[in-house]
Formats: sequence, structure tokens, C-alpha cells
Amino acid sequence: MYLVANIETEICAATSCKLCTQYCPEANTILYDNEAGQDKGFKYGAAYVAVDRCKGCAQCVWVCDNMAKHNAIKMEMIDQIGDTALTENVTYGEKTSSAVLANPVRGQG
Amino acid sequence: MSLDYVKFTPGFGKFMPKEYRDMVEHGPFGKKVSVSQVGTFKEILEEHPMCAGCAMTLFIRLAMVAFPNAEDTITVGTAGCGRLAISQAAIPFVYGNYGDQNGVASGLTRGLRLRFGDRPKDVVVMAGDGGMADIGFAQTLHSWFRKEKFTTIMLDNEVYGNTGGQESGMTNRNQVLKMAPLGKKFEKMDMLGMAKVSGCAYVATVVPNNPRRVESVIKKAVLVAREIGPSYIQAYTSCNIEYAIPTDKVMEDAKTVETDRYKFTEYITDEAKEYLSQLYGYKEYLPKPAAAVEKQ
Repeated sequence: MYLVANIETEICAATSCKLCTQYCPEANTILYDNEAGQDKGFKYGAAYVAVDRCKGCAQCVWVCDNMAKHNAIKMEMIDQIGDTALTENVTYGEKTSSAVLANPVRGQG
Repeated sequence: MSLDYVKFTPGFGKFMPKEYRDMVEHGPFGKKVSVSQVGTFKEILEEHPMCAGCAMTLFIRLAMVAFPNAEDTITVGTAGCGRLAISQAAIPFVYGNYGDQNGVASGLTRGLRLRFGDRPKDVVVMAGDGGMADIGFAQTLHSWFRKEKFTTIMLDNEVYGNTGGQESGMTNRNQVLKMAPLGKKFEKMDMLGMAKVSGCAYVATVVPNNPRRVESVIKKAVLVAREIGPSYIQAYTSCNIEYAIPTDKVMEDAKTVETDRYKFTEYITDEAKEYLSQLYGYKEYLPKPAAAVEKQ
């Protein structure tokens, strides 16, 4: 198994700095959902990771910890991460994107 | 080379891969996108085989977002790590023989100007320090002396990263590498000085540590190259393999190097300043009011 980045939605939606999306070396990997935190009462959206594209470099972790100082991103084993975003479940909208979460090992459902 | 070339034939859309459909429907073509919007639209760069955590990949990704008219842009590259990612974007990529990328781009720029007249078609050369400062040195310099109107971007990782770690002209003096065990005996080449001497209208150094600055520098360089003359960007894009930088410390290294020896510099001719301020609204290049000039 291998490590991928996982973003804590509650911490991310409270700050919404978007730094990790700008510093990720992989394109279309850390995406941004403008409505991610709204059901929990947060004003902003949150970033999320399309784990099938993540190469596990942990640059986003350094950026989140040291530049943004939010500590919202952790590296986790792909089989222990639970339901998360995959590229095939991502849909783009007007100035936002969103993903139906699925288990990265077992697939959707 | 137009908005239509990426679109699928009517009726065939449903057979196309999801990534392709997303790129056509939610990509940056025909829109103004910025680095602050990434993550909310489909980027034109796709998956590529470059190493995890590579700063060069980050720079290329930011460059692809920053192109002022991505649908009217052609990239030219040569052997080196960078071409592995540059070729995986939804814009045409021309692969020159090792070192002749600026020669190829010269012909391409002239041809496009003949074919499309005043409709701007941007040619952007992105190659490594080996391809540009060593093997392609003559062609790079000659294209600048000829005032060929395209942008040259050096992805300066200060080593031949693709072939095992030999020193390049852009490696720093005394740097020990796997294939340079005694350390480099000469100074790093002053490509910035040469770009200015040979007549580039816009010259900048940048580190991907600051994505918005990378975006702004690339936009300016491409716009200047449309009308005024050649532009050159030298970007520090560390090789985390050959310089043994842990992947999660790549941005820390970029920050250290930026403060230490790779500070942001920008050289722009008066003609280019006037062009950017008049046509594209760059207020920082507007002539200062007479009162302010007198006070100085």
C-alpha cells in the first residue's frame, strides 16, 4: 500500500486559503469544492484530493503546515483512508468542482 | 491552433475519455483563468511520468495555467525531464532535436506569422539548462540576436537530471554530483546577462515558490514576445533526485534558494513597458507623472 494526501474538510473549510491547490505539482489532483463546508455551517468551501492522481510527495503537507499554518493535510495509507475522491467521480461546474466520494480500493459503493 | 481543434466530432463525445470531455467542456480554452482558480476548472496538463514532488512539474503546471491564450499557444521543447510533462498537455508540442529548440521555434514563429498575420499565435520554448545553455547554446543565443519573437523559458535544475547527474553549464561552482565527483570547476553561466546583451525585451528569474509571480512573469513574457521581441525566463526548478531533496522539503529548498541566490529579478525595456501598459493595462509600467519625476 502507499501514502496519499488527505485533507481535513472541517479545518480547510474554516480557512480556505487554496495554497495546496496552487502548490501541488500534479495537475487536476487537489481540487476545490466551493460548497464542501456549507452543510456544516462553514462559509467557504474546501479542497479535496483525487487520490488516483496523487503521487504522495507530501508537498501540500509542508505548504499547509508551514506556509498556511493550518495543519489540515495528512498523509494516509490508501486502504485506510475511507471514502474519498477519484477522478472518475469528479464533476466540474461553474467556478467549482465536486466529487461523489467512493472507496479508492473497492470502488464506488 | 484554434478553439475548435480540441472539440470532438458531433456524436462522438460520449465515446471520449472523461478527462477529454472535461477538458473540452470545463477547460481553460477561450476563458480567462488564473492560478487562484486552479482546482475549479480542468487544467490542460494531464498525468505525466515525472517524479513525485518535482518542482519542475509545478512550474510547468503553473505555466500552462498562465499562458494568456492557451488555445493559441504552441510549446517547443527538447530532450530533458521537462518534455515528459510539457508533451502531456492539450496544446501542440513540438519536439526539437537536442539543442535546436530555439531554431525550430524561430521557423515556427515566422511561419505562423505568415499564415495567420496579425492574429497572435504564441510560441513558447521550454527546455532544460542542458538543452539551452550547453548543447543548444548557439541556437538560443542566435535566436535572441535575430530578435525572433517568441518566449524562451529555461527550466534550470542545475544538473543533467535525466542521464544520471552530470554537471551542466548552469551548475554552481564546486557542486559535487553523482557524475561530477570532484565538483564543478567553473562558475554558473550568466544566461541573464547574455539575454540582456543579445537584446531580449523581457528577462526575468523566478522560483515556483510563488505561484502568482510565476503566472505574472509568464503572462508578461508571452505578451512582450508577440510584438516587441524575444523574452527569456530563467526558472529555478530543483531536481529533488540528483540533489537529494526529500519531496516534502522541495518548497523549503525553493524558499532557501530564492532568498540565497535566486532572487526575483525582472529586466524590461522601455519599449516593452510602454507596450504592456498601453495595450494590456499594466499600471506599474505607466510613465510616472511629471511631478513625481521632479521629486526624485
